Amino acid sequence: MKALWFLIPLYLLPLVVTSDTVLTVLIFTFLLSILAIGFNIVFGGAGQLTMFHAAAFGIGSYATFLSMLHFGLPFWLGFLVAVVVIVLVSIVIGWICFKFRLKEFYFAVVTMAFAELCRLIALNWTSVTNGTLGMLVLEKPTLWLPGSGIVKIEQTTPWYFLTLASLTVVLVFSALLMRSWIGRNFSAIRLNEDLAQTLGIDTFRYKLLAFTISNVIAAFAGALYGFYTGFIEPSYLSVTQSLDAIAMALLGGVSTILGPVVGALVLTSLPHLIELPAELRVAVYGIILILVILVMPRGIVGLAAGFFKRQTHAS
Amino acid sequence: MTQVVVGQILNGIILGSLYGIIALGVTMTFGITGIVNFALGQFMMIGAYATWYFTDLAKFPFPVAVALAVLISAAAGLLADQALFRFTRNNLVNGLLVSIGLISVTESVALLLFTTTPKNMDTVIAGSWTLGAITLPRMKVVAFLLLAAVIGLTWLGLSRAWLGRATRAYAQNPEAAMLMGVPTKLLQTGVVVYSCAIAGFGGALYACLFSLEPTLGGLFILKGVESAILAGVGNLLGALAGGVILGVTESVGSLYLPSAFRDAYGLVFLVAILLFRPAGLFGGQK
Repeated sequence: MKALWFLIPLYLLPLVVTSDTVLTVLIFTFLLSILAIGFNIVFGGAGQLTMFHAAAFGIGSYATFLSMLHFGLPFWLGFLVAVVVIVLVSIVIGWICFKFRLKEFYFAVVTMAFAELCRLIALNWTSVTNGTLGMLVLEKPTLWLPGSGIVKIEQTTPWYFLTLASLTVVLVFSALLMRSWIGRNFSAIRLNEDLAQTLGIDTFRYKLLAFTISNVIAAFAGALYGFYTGFIEPSYLSVTQSLDAIAMALLGGVSTILGPVVGALVLTSLPHLIELPAELRVAVYGIILILVILVMPRGIVGLAAGFFKRQTHAS
Repeated sequence: MTQVVVGQILNGIILGSLYGIIALGVTMTFGITGIVNFALGQFMMIGAYATWYFTDLAKFPFPVAVALAVLISAAAGLLADQALFRFTRNNLVNGLLVSIGLISVTESVALLLFTTTPKNMDTVIAGSWTLGAITLPRMKVVAFLLLAAVIGLTWLGLSRAWLGRATRAYAQNPEAAMLMGVPTKLLQTGVVVYSCAIAGFGGALYACLFSLEPTLGGLFILKGVESAILAGVGNLLGALAGGVILGVTESVGSLYLPSAFRDAYGLVFLVAILLFRPAGLFGGQK
């Protein structure tokens, strides 16, 4: 929990930095951090290598927008509809995967297959999703603030605070979850599933719970992402998107609270810091990923934690 | 109608043999190094572009071009193994991430070198055979036979020769194999390089049949992994069968059901297989 104090300077940052580019990069960092935290709960927590989080991300943005479009709901109620959808989808897919005891690589492949099915539906159900062209989102989320009433989130700075606040909520939630008995049961499953079962942990139920929570968080990231960019397209559900989030979580350090945020920050900002054409930017992204995995396999946060521990032992 | 169905089945078989050659690489690499080389599709892309370059631009005879393409893929594989995969042995997730990084790098380099414009190679073997009402382009038949031959020879080599015994011994128990004098490091590097070489060979034949785009690797690695799981990971001949089954399912499925969901039929089939026969259709042999 102590780690969460680092968020305070981020709240003060817009007082010093007025550059739209910096704030925009940070907004993307926060949004992708939320997605990576979602992944981290199921992988870093319960040890299940899911590939479904990008699909949940995409479903979150599609379902939120479509329920606003067709039922005239405000953003947050629309998101509530998306949560219901994603919980149902997660329970069905999780039930299938965990009932048949799919593990590791096989679990990854089956969840990836389901994610691809969702992407194909988003791509081909043209009458609802507008297919490859995607959908323009002109609506913006509204927020009730004490003092100023209902505000529409449009400019960069309000978006900065909205996404930062969302990240804070998700971080606190995930930190509390991981410290609770639920989180301990997740860890038991990750470390030794058979042993966890012998100790009386209902592994099926806890894996399903981890999978569902993780997908709801990913859907939250997706809903915000779609409304921030003002554009929703089937590539949100792609395998590449899943892999990006996995890369962020691993880069920062799996099974740590802050890892996904640090990873998202590095992978989102570094390619922008170096002036390069778009194609090479992808190459730089790849090189960063390779170097980090080979040089610090426990991630940046894991490495730093190890370093500090050694320092305190020495002194 | 039967004619169309048979035609689609044959198309599926030929496409499936390309999936099969990737599946063979996936299966072999996973058995020996414990990682899934997701970048294998990129070596196929390298082989395909090399073949196109050497036949169409450098005007080499086709067999020479294929040999060069296979060599280049193998060399790239050796480089990737020594620089990257050597450090991620038996670590599935790190291997996966390193492959993703490699995919990003190779794909963007290919985009810079060859742009997104699809490249079409000149026809290598023209004409077609007619069997009753069905016409079969010769190139497709030759490509299928060559791919099946490579997969068959690999299986034969691994089940008969000393190398095969060493490989299987290693897959069963690495420490014991090491104690019996199996050069495990060499074996691991060899498997990675070989899988890249045959992926490059698949790419060379792909270049003769379809148009080339820098993103072709991504599609084929997914299909290759699917085929390998479908057949049962570790089953070498099954890799070909798995690829063919996947190819036929897709081709025939898109005939009767909406073709936009072409990629979905194989996936549904794969999920069903994993749920009801977790060891794969033909059973894996780790």
